[in-house]
Amino acid sequence: MANYLPEIHQATLPNGMNLLGVEYDRVPWVSIIFMVKRGSEADPVGKAGVADWTAEYLTLGTARRQQLQLAQDIESRGATLAARGGWDATLISLEGLAEDFPELLATLAEIVQVPAFAEEEFPLLKKRRRAELVHMLDDPREMANLRFLRLFFGDAPYGWPVPGDLKSLEALSLDDLKEFYQRQFAPQTCSLMVVGMVPFPRVVEEAGRLWGSFKDTGPPSPPYTSAPQGLCPPGIYLLDRPELTQSEIRLGHLGLPRSHPDFFPLKLVNYILGEGGFSSRLMGRIRSDLGCTYGIRSHFHFRRAPGPFIISTFTPAVHTALVVKEITQVVKELWEKGVTAQELAEAQSYYVGHFPLGLETPRGLGRQLILMDLYDLGRDYLKNYCEQIQGVTLQAAAQAAQAHLKPEDLVTLIMGPASQCAEALEELGPVKIVDEI
Amino acid sequence: MTSSPKLDPAAWQPEIAIVPYRLDNGLSLFVLPDPRLPIVSLQVHYKVGSRHELPGITGISHLFEHLMFRGTETLGPEEFSRILQAKGGEINAFTTRDHTSYFENLPAEHLELGLSLEADRLKNLKLDDENFQPERQVVISERKLRSVDSPFGLVTEQLFAAAYTQHPYQWPVIGWDQDLRRLTLKDCLTYYRAYYHPGNMAVVVAGDVIPEAARDLVDRYFGDIPSPGPPPAIQVQEPLQRGERRAVVKKVSQVEALFAGYHIVGMDHPDIYPLNLLGLILSGGKSSRFYQEFVRVGKTVELDVELAPLPFSSEDPDLLVIAAVAVPGQPLVKLEEELWAALNRLQTEGVTPAELARAQKIQRAQMARNLMHNFYRGLLVGLFHLKTSDAARVNKLLTFFEAVTTEDIQRVAQTYLREDNRTTVILKPVSPGESQALGELA
Repeated sequence: MANYLPEIHQATLPNGMNLLGVEYDRVPWVSIIFMVKRGSEADPVGKAGVADWTAEYLTLGTARRQQLQLAQDIESRGATLAARGGWDATLISLEGLAEDFPELLATLAEIVQVPAFAEEEFPLLKKRRRAELVHMLDDPREMANLRFLRLFFGDAPYGWPVPGDLKSLEALSLDDLKEFYQRQFAPQTCSLMVVGMVPFPRVVEEAGRLWGSFKDTGPPSPPYTSAPQGLCPPGIYLLDRPELTQSEIRLGHLGLPRSHPDFFPLKLVNYILGEGGFSSRLMGRIRSDLGCTYGIRSHFHFRRAPGPFIISTFTPAVHTALVVKEITQVVKELWEKGVTAQELAEAQSYYVGHFPLGLETPRGLGRQLILMDLYDLGRDYLKNYCEQIQGVTLQAAAQAAQAHLKPEDLVTLIMGPASQCAEALEELGPVKIVDEI
Repeated sequence: MTSSPKLDPAAWQPEIAIVPYRLDNGLSLFVLPDPRLPIVSLQVHYKVGSRHELPGITGISHLFEHLMFRGTETLGPEEFSRILQAKGGEINAFTTRDHTSYFENLPAEHLELGLSLEADRLKNLKLDDENFQPERQVVISERKLRSVDSPFGLVTEQLFAAAYTQHPYQWPVIGWDQDLRRLTLKDCLTYYRAYYHPGNMAVVVAGDVIPEAARDLVDRYFGDIPSPGPPPAIQVQEPLQRGERRAVVKKVSQVEALFAGYHIVGMDHPDIYPLNLLGLILSGGKSSRFYQEFVRVGKTVELDVELAPLPFSSEDPDLLVIAAVAVPGQPLVKLEEELWAALNRLQTEGVTPAELARAQKIQRAQMARNLMHNFYRGLLVGLFHLKTSDAARVNKLLTFFEAVTTEDIQRVAQTYLREDNRTTVILKPVSPGESQALGELA
């Protein structure tokens, strides 16, 4: 099995920044990822969106090139520049054909190290972002996701929308973005990852030359690792959207940090519950047996601090209460009785068998490097991954289900037409009508 | 620290090795060997999509795709997926206007299992009411998700319904709501017999496999399945459009939007290459014309050319769609005027060599991206075979793109992006009360 595992190269650049690389020879491609290990959770209070806006701002021009010139130089090489905030990290990546590696690496170094922060770009960015946020109100699935996080976490960091909202938009200034950049973009909290048809010694040489002047300005904010206080009380919450024909349904409770020792048992338990597509109990019950939805999924968002556990689905509005009741029942059963030996064996063989598929592309490999570096998983993580999966016993899975699934703590948010579902929901328990969250 | 001798971009040949076979019963097989990782992509493409449907049974191709997962004489509902997922597989399927495709991306050692299960559901599918009724409900929910409650789903449906008056591309792949409700199990059985057999399908195996061994396996599991021969070809030509058509859809929305569709060509036509490049020049990336002129300066929320990239182009002439979303509070009329003016400039002044070169390099990069995946390699070969009868063309695509000139781009802009060839649908926002007064959404 080990023969196809990529060798993960590591070097420390002269400025202290971590460099990781994988040599990839299938097609002449290179993915270059610059990661700041601080993201939207570090947005100042009331200023949601700072990390994400800062990331985009870097792409709007450097000390040497204005936005159009920069975009032309990148896209004339067929390359793609992406920049976004996220939970626990902000990512700026540039990928393209390996023949252009030196120019791409130099361009990314320029974008990150000498951004222009041109004032004239700010009103344009604000205008674009406002329009995008208003437009997003028309997307029921996205809105249900955002509303659930806001309802559940309240003012705790993981409750803020990554791109900000219409309220925080008015509070943001260019100085906020500059401050975030100066504070968080420091070699000690940043890493560079290169996956592609480029020999690693060449990557080390070029990166050392291009990133030598990137120095600390921080100090960066301390990593956010604590469990939030004052979460939303369990219960059913209904946000009336009379124009929808289906209800968007989200149920969740607090999950675990990525560093928790039960990560692997819980990953397997959750596959069986709702992550495993047609192999999962939720899909089996809600879609295959009842025909009530096209899709249902459960997910533990493992982050640096405890992230949410969320079950997501949608159903024609008249089925809303039935679906909520059945989901709760499925979670309860798994919590009480654990999983069967066959279910566990199948979940394990899924992850082991699927493992090489995740290593097929530079993007897939880059994703692994990001997780390994961000959550300190160790350079042997890929080497040990299958063993960790296979080492989970039936008892460990049952214990993880018992300890970390909390059917009594579920917060349920329905976003749909109240006239078609409120009455039936009342039969499941008190329903709190929420106007806006 | 040693480096692989293969790390030389200049040595790359962007070519897919294709080993074609044809079984005695007419089944086409393409094997694309590549031993880099111990995985394969197994794909079974049936030449049946919404273009083979008739009014009254729209959506049956897609519903049938769902039914293919509901079990056989020996397997229960969804057991197909469960068995292969338990081996690490990614299992899914998709239906388009021209074909229905099933795929399993698997550890290579389980290829035989994948083939045996695909053959089983082709021969022994269990079609009964117990399977049919819940799956119909699932598809009705999927239709609400994709069309009714999605921001622009109904607008797109109206665009195709207005632009095509005779060709089956006028209805959506997922089907009309009332057809989904009245389809019968008998309709499905008839459909199954007509289109699901070796004379109407292609199998692709891409990845860590020896071609002869793959052929023997396919022959073992599919070789004894009889074929009545290819079904009669659907030959419908949409008449040339003679004047702009306009429609309005009223829906609860925060934004006004405009979707304009121009009749273009199908996948087999050489103009598909300049048209794809034109799409990139207009809206591919942040140096594109539309981004610079409209999006960056806040005149629109979005302004995109929607044209399926190869190999997803449709078999018969498609629509090139321009989707414009107005900034809240700003009039759509003004945006529309400016958009037509931008297209007129394109037609009269053409594009610069730099714009064309950028689009061509983006295509080259896109090809490299496609060739990273066994899955996309397989789709390229399988879908070119199905829609043009020329699988080997995938290895000439970059040459075709590189041969396009600035004059070609201007010519296709003038030929296709004409007002008389255009259908325009406007999304007009209404309040929830007004929406309810207009009747039920379906």
